[in-house]
Amino acid sequence: MNADLKTLQESNKTELERRGSIFNIGAPATEAVTIRDQIAVGFGDGTVRFFQSGSDPKTVKAHKGVVLSMTNYEDHVLTGGEDGRFLKISSDGNIDEIFNFGSKWVDCVASHKDTKVCSSGKTVYIWTKNKDKPQTLEHQSTVAGLAFDNKGKRLAVSRYGGVTVWKLNNNKWTASNFTWKGSHGTVTFSPDTKYIVTAMQENQIHGWRINDKADLAMRGYPSKIKSFTWVGDTPYLVTSGSSDAVCWPFDGKEGPMGRKPIVVANGGKELATFVKALNGEKAVFTGFTDGSVLLAEIDESKKPIMIRSSTGSEVSTIAISSDNSQILIGDMKGSILLSSLWADN
Amino acid sequence: MENTSQVPVTVLTGFLGAGKTTLLNRILTEQHGRKYAVIVNEFGEQGIDNDLVVDADEEVFEMNNGCICCTVRGDLIRILSGLMKRADKLDAIIVETTGLADPAPVAQTFFVDQDVADRTKLDAIVTVADAVHLSSQLVDHHEAEEQIAFADVILLNKVELVEDNDIVKVNDRIRKINPFAKIIKTTRCDAPLDEIVGLNAFSLDRVLDIEPDFLESDHDHEHDDDVTSLSFVSDTPLDMDKFQDWFGNLLRTKGQDILRSKGILNFKGEEERYVFQGVHMLMDASPMGPWPKGKDRSSRVVFIGRDLDNMNLKEGFDNCKSA
Repeated sequence: MNADLKTLQESNKTELERRGSIFNIGAPATEAVTIRDQIAVGFGDGTVRFFQSGSDPKTVKAHKGVVLSMTNYEDHVLTGGEDGRFLKISSDGNIDEIFNFGSKWVDCVASHKDTKVCSSGKTVYIWTKNKDKPQTLEHQSTVAGLAFDNKGKRLAVSRYGGVTVWKLNNNKWTASNFTWKGSHGTVTFSPDTKYIVTAMQENQIHGWRINDKADLAMRGYPSKIKSFTWVGDTPYLVTSGSSDAVCWPFDGKEGPMGRKPIVVANGGKELATFVKALNGEKAVFTGFTDGSVLLAEIDESKKPIMIRSSTGSEVSTIAISSDNSQILIGDMKGSILLSSLWADN
Repeated sequence: MENTSQVPVTVLTGFLGAGKTTLLNRILTEQHGRKYAVIVNEFGEQGIDNDLVVDADEEVFEMNNGCICCTVRGDLIRILSGLMKRADKLDAIIVETTGLADPAPVAQTFFVDQDVADRTKLDAIVTVADAVHLSSQLVDHHEAEEQIAFADVILLNKVELVEDNDIVKVNDRIRKINPFAKIIKTTRCDAPLDEIVGLNAFSLDRVLDIEPDFLESDHDHEHDDDVTSLSFVSDTPLDMDKFQDWFGNLLRTKGQDILRSKGILNFKGEEERYVFQGVHMLMDASPMGPWPKGKDRSSRVVFIGRDLDNMNLKEGFDNCKSA
């Protein structure tokens, strides 16, 4: 009887679950970033754990309270925490405290080459190479998202009422404001840097074409959009927030203006909570409220592949190793699946 | 959506000097065996240093949803979603507001933001009032009136400094503004914490606790800006369509002046009781089981707000009675 039940459970597992490793950390996975062949994950218990195929994760006790934000920086990760600390952490566990904001949270972090950036409250702090003191950029309301363009010359800062895009010229930052009523969260530049897009407090995303500040309002979602990712050469901006992965085309002069999105990876009753591009492919991983993850091509006629079965806890992060060989999936209960993407690995 | 894993949130209001910090320090230091996080604002009375304290700026954001009085606390949405990622489960969260803050955006945050509503629930609005100064504050500051009007619980603090007959006067003044709040008289905010935190006051079934004594339509006030309350009772069953038309239109057009509304309704042809409670234009309503056997099936509604006399409330309510 027991054996039968076990066989049944095994057969319900996906191929990736059978060949991968599952770790139960017991605290929500909040962020994940890739550094070479490792994937660093921040958790709600303040730890940062470095996962690598074939070995147990290395645990670094980084913050007291939640790891709120994380990005990669050279061979390190930068993290911001509920304890007000902005840290640089190496995979062997070395912690370098860049700044301590006390009882104020470090909500967002970003980096470009040797520039380290974080936000706490309404202020963005920028550390450039060989300078101990940060430059500061002030905003009218709390900063909710940070993103560099691919050259590191522009920094988008989202906030209530829109986005401030700071441009670096002769070591001086000048601001340009993109305005849209409402509260703006996570922000991203399109890969060609022609557009900026934010996820709003309302169930919609908002974009601007940078050269003429033309608005793009992408609405109709049943829930908040917590995650987006750029996919393929078109490129598509793929978003969570719906029962499918919603893919907006950003090609041509007008981008998604007046066009309908492609929808792939239908989750049935479940809503998508996290999306992540498969680098180099026109395909996206979509995680859902029940913990399941689908891999789908941006093509409505193709069937998606089940990558991870339901765990009962919403997918909060997905990361792919830099050589596209490993995938890591984390959820709000702190269950981590680390598995090779390809059968012959 | 009822969800047992939702963390209850207590909103703490009150004028500067009323004793909010005293209460917060008690919550943080007493051996109550529970884990509370406290969200304080930077203009608070004095710094409190504790791992369970989160600093916030009160940021009131307008929602982009066409609802004109729909403002929310943006900072609260951000902080609550961060706290929900903690490994250890919190028993409750307490949000301190500045002395001059309007409590409406805090309360509305729990109606409007889906993430906040899924993971936390508004437990109660607790107002600390200074028994010595409340009467003059009510004259000088409309915020003081609003804090009394919104409250589910009022700690009438510093009663040791006031003569007994003056306490009665203050108590009566509070009752005119807010007939349903529970008033607890305290010295140094010494009420038991379980009468302040974890009350479930915003739960719809608590609407049924409205005490009939407070539901006597009685008011007299000095000028139109005053916050007052009006209540109505009907033993005749109401017509559901008529009520929905009237009440929906009332909140849409007068919601800015109606701070809170609550009621229990007996609809013609319905076996179940209906209850509702609202903050400005937003409200929550649902059936709440059959009427208790042997008790009167009377509909009761309460409104707290400004300029209630010019809303034809009595006429509107009477028109909902089924023919």
